[in-house]
Amino acid sequence: MAEEIQKKLQKEFELFNNLKKEYHKAVALKQQLDSQLNENKVVKEELNLLKKDAEVYKLIGPVLVKQDLEEAKQNVAKRLEYINKEIKRSDGNISALENKQEAVHENLNKLKTNLDNLKIAA
Amino acid sequence: MATISSAPAPGMHQIDLSKLNLNQLAKLKQQLDQELNVFQDSLQTLKIAQGKFVESGESVEKITPETKGKTILVPLTGSMYVPGTILDTENVIIDIGTGYYAQKDIESAKDYFKRKVQFVTEQMEKIQLMGIEKSKVREAIIMMMEMKVQAQAQAQKATS
Repeated sequence: MAEEIQKKLQKEFELFNNLKKEYHKAVALKQQLDSQLNENKVVKEELNLLKKDAEVYKLIGPVLVKQDLEEAKQNVAKRLEYINKEIKRSDGNISALENKQEAVHENLNKLKTNLDNLKIAA
Repeated sequence: MATISSAPAPGMHQIDLSKLNLNQLAKLKQQLDQELNVFQDSLQTLKIAQGKFVESGESVEKITPETKGKTILVPLTGSMYVPGTILDTENVIIDIGTGYYAQKDIESAKDYFKRKVQFVTEQMEKIQLMGIEKSKVREAIIMMMEMKVQAQAQAQKATS
């Protein structure tokens, strides 16, 4: 009986560790998205500050390619939209992982107390 | 370029330090140490960014109508230069982020760098303030830990 629980405990523990890793990854991704969002916001502001006839270039590889200001603005707006969507998705992912983690943690605790009780009984 | 808000994160609540045991206090201190390290790193990064903006701003100051037609050395790589002539003394092209470069006249370029330096400086000030707050909490935790250790030692003395 105790062995069985021990095995279960180990499995659950592995699950917990995996979840933790996944969680850290998700948080790192979120942070990256956040910084991208901020950078794009700054670019949007700058583009809005430019005069209508100002020249805008986009860096593609090592070359600067001239771009239409309106086009650049639209591009940035699209990118902002996309990043915002990704952030929402990542937020959902993070909270789902949090819930899962909590559930597994509870399970772990339950198994631990079970094991302890068995040990005391033995 | 992240904006840092000093508003407390949701889910943060006040904790009475005296109710925590030594282990919890140590953990809390560790967490704070980590956060303070992050702040330190951020400050460093911001300082570098600030320096770059200041430098660029100073470079723009040097481009005046009188520099038109003057020769300069243009770096092709970090260690190879070719001579070049300044043709346009009215406009510069500035990296505004995410791969976009915008042409600006000298005056708006100066303004741009001034704004950027100001922005970065503000962020640094915010971080510094937050760092001071955290340091205060950290000190409080250390004091509480010392008190607990002393109380423990005395309790042991009393029983022995």
